[in-house]
Amino acid sequence: MTDQLDRPAESTPAPAYGLGNSPLRTDALPKALGIYPYAADLWAEGLLWGAVLRSPHPHARIVSIDTSAALAIPGVHAVVTAADLPAQPVDGGTAPPSDRGAERPVLAADVVRHHGEPVAAVAADHPDTARLAAASILVEYQLLEPLTDPEQAFNGPALHPNGNLLRHLPLRHGDQEAVGEVVVEGLYQVGRQDPAPIGTEAGLAVPRPDGGVELHLSSTDPHGDRDRVAARLGLEPDRVRLVVTGVPGATADREELSFQVVLALLALRSGRPVKMVLTREESFQAHGGRRPALLRYRHHADAQGTLVKVEAQILLDGGAYADVSAEVLGAATAFAVGPYVCPNVAVDAWAVRTNNPPAGRMRGEGALQSCFAHESQMDLLAARLGLDPLEIRRRNAMTTGDSLPTGQAVTCPAPVGTLLEALDEVPLPALPLDDPDTPWLLPGGPGGAGDPAAVRRGIGYSVGMVHMLGAEGADEVSTATVRVSGDHATVICAAVDAGQGFATLARQIVQSVLGVSEVYVAPVDSDQSIAGPSARGRHTWVSGGAVEKAALMVRHQLLQPIAADFGMSVELLSIADGKITSYDGVLGMPVTEALEGKELWATAQCRPHPTEPLDEAGQGDAFVSIAFCAMRAVVDVDIELGAVRVVDVTVAQDVGRALNPGQIEDRIEAAVAHGVGAALLEDLRTTAGVPHDLSLTGYRLPTSLDTPEVRIATLVEERDVVATFGAKAVSAVPAVVAPAAVAAAVRAATNLPIGRLPIPPQDAVAG
Amino acid sequence: MLPTSLAEAVEALGTSPAAVPVAGGTDLMEAVNAGRLRPAALLGLGRITELRGWRYEDGGTAVLGAGLTLARMDRPDFAALIPALADAARTAGPPQTRNVGTLGGNIATAAPTGDTLPVLTALEAQVTLAGVGGTRDVPVSHLLTGLDPIRPGELLTWVRVPLLHAPQVFLKATGRSGPARATASVALVLDPARRGVRCAVGAVAPVPLRPLEAEAWVAGCIDWSARGEEGATPIDPAAAAAFGEYVATACVPDGYGADAASGLPPQGPTAAALALRRTVAVLARRALGRALK
Repeated sequence: MTDQLDRPAESTPAPAYGLGNSPLRTDALPKALGIYPYAADLWAEGLLWGAVLRSPHPHARIVSIDTSAALAIPGVHAVVTAADLPAQPVDGGTAPPSDRGAERPVLAADVVRHHGEPVAAVAADHPDTARLAAASILVEYQLLEPLTDPEQAFNGPALHPNGNLLRHLPLRHGDQEAVGEVVVEGLYQVGRQDPAPIGTEAGLAVPRPDGGVELHLSSTDPHGDRDRVAARLGLEPDRVRLVVTGVPGATADREELSFQVVLALLALRSGRPVKMVLTREESFQAHGGRRPALLRYRHHADAQGTLVKVEAQILLDGGAYADVSAEVLGAATAFAVGPYVCPNVAVDAWAVRTNNPPAGRMRGEGALQSCFAHESQMDLLAARLGLDPLEIRRRNAMTTGDSLPTGQAVTCPAPVGTLLEALDEVPLPALPLDDPDTPWLLPGGPGGAGDPAAVRRGIGYSVGMVHMLGAEGADEVSTATVRVSGDHATVICAAVDAGQGFATLARQIVQSVLGVSEVYVAPVDSDQSIAGPSARGRHTWVSGGAVEKAALMVRHQLLQPIAADFGMSVELLSIADGKITSYDGVLGMPVTEALEGKELWATAQCRPHPTEPLDEAGQGDAFVSIAFCAMRAVVDVDIELGAVRVVDVTVAQDVGRALNPGQIEDRIEAAVAHGVGAALLEDLRTTAGVPHDLSLTGYRLPTSLDTPEVRIATLVEERDVVATFGAKAVSAVPAVVAPAAVAAAVRAATNLPIGRLPIPPQDAVAG
Repeated sequence: MLPTSLAEAVEALGTSPAAVPVAGGTDLMEAVNAGRLRPAALLGLGRITELRGWRYEDGGTAVLGAGLTLARMDRPDFAALIPALADAARTAGPPQTRNVGTLGGNIATAAPTGDTLPVLTALEAQVTLAGVGGTRDVPVSHLLTGLDPIRPGELLTWVRVPLLHAPQVFLKATGRSGPARATASVALVLDPARRGVRCAVGAVAPVPLRPLEAEAWVAGCIDWSARGEEGATPIDPAAAAAFGEYVATACVPDGYGADAASGLPPQGPTAAALALRRTVAVLARRALGRALK
């Protein structure tokens, strides 16, 4: 087999490396072959299997828990409930703001607040025994009325000692009395998209002789998870070690806290390694999804279509616990108007507590909900004024130096106009009716009920933005170590590559700075220095910056003695292909020789400039930088059945600098697929707080037949001077923009208002 | 248990009637793996090659093996024989499912969304059940409605489908382009010898429904002699549309999707009923149009 794999590599030229090229991920081949290990593949001698008992009710008081039946089952080694954990302050207490989920109990103690909330857990010597034992735990519930309508949260009974209002942000900007000549209003709804990672939650906990525990998890935030687990268990952080395993799909955060703590607790209680793999149904119950949103908008414009004022009310359903709802609400509010100039803005945004499934962090969470609303409003305004949808966006487009409704000046490149122009230049896909020979995949799919006579084509545009890095005063920092010895270099950085490609990027950075082609990226564990979570598109910036700094320090150490020997300054030397050369090419020396058998290493930190929280009027410099994207979607709609197929999506994106163009295109394609799912398919529906069908048959993810052809019109490379390499994060913003573009296209095809995401087929039935 | 012949399988099932026969296992094994089902024993049918094909019988009947896979039914030779069943098999799921999922499994599982079921109902297929005491034939609709269910110790072996040598159509609405469960499906077959139209609606009720009055009415609207002629219109488009409405109203009750717990008498059709009727009406109209083209 090795022979077969090696052969093609010999026949192809050595791949170009360094920044600006598109080398392949090192784990691409093992993943394609199915030999890449994930957490579910882990094994330890004598391991036990964990299982969790979850609440079947969305809201109930726990009267009593009787675990005796479970303990009596042969093969059961530990049964734990909330009573086995050190008491936590129910309101989250003095936990730092970075401790997401501070008020979420690991195991429900007195009240369950959502369907599927963990109540007890079991470790047994066989997975079936563990599940059986969990099911035999008797929990007596006193049912309480579930609060599932977020609009009722304000006046309904408090579901938690912290109240039902998770955050209210009343943003006021400019003249509140301003009125436009043209006014358009709309009401928009966004459903509950689930991250639905392709690998369910899985992990292995191994007790340590010192009373601590080692966790093997597909974590995307190793240090944060370690600290949170330690705090819940009442251990010092250094007693918990977290080893990151392969991550089988993550949209931002992954393993939910309760899963991690329960796993560790079962291992500590039983004194044996414990493995737990959630079923698909449990996985849906365990992780948080997108916040369903209700958005009410009123846009004022003058007769030329220039925005005068935007009024909005945004209501986010945060689920049972606060989690990151406050942060998400900040983004939804700040980006409520979109990438447009508007002098007068009034937004009232609320995130509220309900008994619905928990909410977490998804791509562009907050910004996506607002984008659907503000882009729908721009289309309404264009229709009212008889303007082209592109033209109204051009007239209001933001550029560098304009200010957000939060009063923050956009100092990074904001090439919104350029992006729109680029879209316009890409020809539209041919209409199959004009060319009968082209195969036409009708809405409804191959062999479906589609009828060409009932199919209408629609074209829609949208523009959107997301912020990068943590906002509103979050401390962003990452540390990396770079080591060179012999003919290769090693990067040690606790930034988890959850598939977004950071490991590839780290290799490219070191290759470019040190001219060494062989670069290894070490596996991540919590003994390394803190790099922070793989979320909000931050690793390219903070961890990439730390890797670059460390590599530059190593380069300096390497070149300084040689520069002294040659009698020239370090700046006059360059390294490429493992060779150090002087500026004139006269003097040269291989890197291995320069090292003289030594090992050089350096550690560096990157901390972008600080931000500030939004004040009580929603004003403040809350964001480090912002990325923009414009999109054109082309859809075919069967207007009798309401079936929609997205034919083509053309993307123009502001990337700052394309460090790995191949990887950027992949990320954009993935994000468009994610956005198409949010637009047409993905919705975890509930009745009275109970989800309908927790399976991948019931929860419909886009398949290859549902995803469109994705074309890149342009990647605008206007460097962001404060960012590492001038590059912007690329993964989130296309997911934010795509649902709005698809909705606009469906609207164009059907002449119907389209106010709900995902678009139910009956909303797209015309006539 | 892994019998290699039909006789062996029937005998094994006779001695241990609690054993659950498994063919493709696309529904059964998923339930076993998820812990929802713990059969006392499994009777693997994968090695019974005689059940994986089909043969002809006198009187224009095709006898299909219960182990015929959905993928096999999609192949051109089969599609020429029973086109609607091939259409249903093609849309029944992703290739992985169709490669192992079987016709017999689809009938035995009897899911409301089983795609072959409305086709078999419209074709008025018969199912052969084999037990130690002998075999018996049951109409597929009797089996699905529970009028004459599979008895303990009986194995579903053959499906007898009358060959009509006329156009037949299966259409399904799913709300996506990729494989998915039907929100509604319609199977429509023409029986020119008897000048009849037979139609069954799937996925809207626990079993496929036959709108018998609508069938009889539309059969009278069709100009049977004009069928298949160049440029002929065998049916008035308005009649085809009315047929769609007729089928939809017959198969979707007013109270569809209503909250039974509310206890209120239904005030006219619910919004869900109207939406589903519209879908069924469009499917039935299109199916008739394609069959008569």
